[in-house]
Amino acid sequence: MSLEAVLVVAAALVGLGLWGALSQQSIVMVLMGIELIVNGAMLAGGGLWAYAAGGAPEGQLLVIVAMAVMAVEMAVGFALLVALYRTRQVDMTDGLTSLRR
Amino acid sequence: MSPADLPVGADVAFWVFALAAVATGYRVFRTDSMVRSAFLLLASFLNVGAILLLLSATYLGVALFFMMTVEMMVMAIFMVAFMMNSAGLNPMSMTHRSGRAAVVGWLAFAGGAAVALAGEFPDRPLPPGTDVIGTLGEELLGDSMLTFETAGVTLLATMIGAVVLSSRRSRFGDEAGDDASLPPTLDPETGEYPAGVIAERSGGHGGHGDHGGHG
Amino acid sequence: MSPALHADVWAAPLIVGTVLAVGAYLVAVLDAAATRVVAGTGLAPDVLIEPLRRAALLVVQQRVVTERPDAASWALAPAAYAGLAAAGLAVVPWSPSFSVADVDAGIVVWGTVESLAVVAVFLHGWSPNSHQPLMAAYRYVAVGLSCLLVSMFVLIAVALPAESLALNAIVDAQAGLWNVVRHPLGLPLFAVVALGITFWGPMDLADGADLSGGTSAEASGSQRLAWQGARAAMLVSFAALGSAAFLGGWHGPVLPGPVWMAAKTAALLALLVAAGHLVARVRAERFVTWCWTVLLPLAFLDLVVAGLGALP
Repeated sequence: MSLEAVLVVAAALVGLGLWGALSQQSIVMVLMGIELIVNGAMLAGGGLWAYAAGGAPEGQLLVIVAMAVMAVEMAVGFALLVALYRTRQVDMTDGLTSLRR
Repeated sequence: MSPADLPVGADVAFWVFALAAVATGYRVFRTDSMVRSAFLLLASFLNVGAILLLLSATYLGVALFFMMTVEMMVMAIFMVAFMMNSAGLNPMSMTHRSGRAAVVGWLAFAGGAAVALAGEFPDRPLPPGTDVIGTLGEELLGDSMLTFETAGVTLLATMIGAVVLSSRRSRFGDEAGDDASLPPTLDPETGEYPAGVIAERSGGHGGHGDHGGHG
Repeated sequence: MSPALHADVWAAPLIVGTVLAVGAYLVAVLDAAATRVVAGTGLAPDVLIEPLRRAALLVVQQRVVTERPDAASWALAPAAYAGLAAAGLAVVPWSPSFSVADVDAGIVVWGTVESLAVVAVFLHGWSPNSHQPLMAAYRYVAVGLSCLLVSMFVLIAVALPAESLALNAIVDAQAGLWNVVRHPLGLPLFAVVALGITFWGPMDLADGADLSGGTSAEASGSQRLAWQGARAAMLVSFAALGSAAFLGGWHGPVLPGPVWMAAKTAALLALLVAAGHLVARVRAERFVTWCWTVLLPLAFLDLVVAGLGALP
């Protein structure tokens, strides 16, 4: 369990999240992809804190801020989804066409 | 207890959790049932939280379990509410440009792994015997108070924004938000309404008009 | 993480399992006794045997099979719920020198146990692929998540005087004054949370009779026995947490620590089981509104009182 192993796993999670966020049509699934990306970032932050930063508390703070970011993203994402669905009946990204030429 | 002091079993545990996190993360986008997809994402998070526990970040790991469970529970409910195929009985392909997305995903993984394997990181492991939770508490409410408070205000703004965006009330009074929003259509693509729906709505608008004029 | 396991690895599951088994039997006996007292049929010694008789009947009963359930989740939900109860009980200290797992962040572990318990109930209702369990699971999630928030603040308030998240330290800090006296709002709020997470009595929106048994509507035989056993085990764990966090844990004059702990747990357990028979079941929307507009501000007030009390 070395720093390299933790960082490779974190990179894998970020890659999976990017693939999911870019390939899924449904807005909820895109949100899940973004959650996976932040998940990978948190793991990388935790790994670097434990192995390369000598336990500096700012490392843990970064992970906590990332958790707050996740909460914000989910809350606003779902609120937008509800608002969109009420006015336009869309829950797929392909349905958001008002800026399309 | 620093990560270097853990017994050999911890190495095996780490790889089990790591592979499980990646495997469940992949299955999130490949499963048909939406509720299962939300809970597979939860499983991925629980595995990452377990790895954080192995790295001696006690509070972070357990707080991650806690927060992600609640988030995924809410996400499962939203998925069933908004997705057409919530039970997953008919497999549907709901992806677009999956080829390009896969390329981007692989590139991101390759880039991150290259940095991880080839980069030079300082070797300063966690000193054994640090009070991880105590130092976190002192940092949050001491030197990094500004960051913490900003996060708090951001969360407050998010709460207000989420309630405003999804509230049924609008400027035109209670329940007018509901009236102002369109009822569900028969066919999302063509946008046609069931018979009689538009007539009802114009009747309602006429009523409002009568109310507005001083008769 | 320094999980100083005071018990050997083999002894931990044995101790927790024994306590949960005895506690679950006690819950069943108390429930049967309360039913008889409230119904007016009078107590009789066979109230001790009745739970065992019902359990034996359930073991031999046939299991219902629904159409295309998620068999894995359905079978695992009671095991997960019981496992969470065991994990929660493991961090509760029984004496100054003994706790099954002394985790630094014991209070946050309990937060995790409660939120995963809500997920386990949801899975138990979603997996049989049937209407009533699904509806019960959905309406329970709203109640469960609201109770979770109240629980967080109440448990943090308990951690403030101890200046630590570990339950050992929280019990140590009650040497002079029990938390039930220091923050009087804590124990009533905690009782509401305990009833909510274990969906017992007034908060029985997950297995309620108005949805013909809710998430247990399709459960029968050993499945039903496992689920009811898991619910009783979770009640026992909550009672143990309540005694440790509010009633001073193992502090007490003459008897040794574990005896006091057991007595306080049993008392809190009797209170919770009795509440199931004396308080009417709440309506989900009303309870959620009341929880967010009344209980949550009270929990904030409890936190403020605890904070002011903890100032040097």
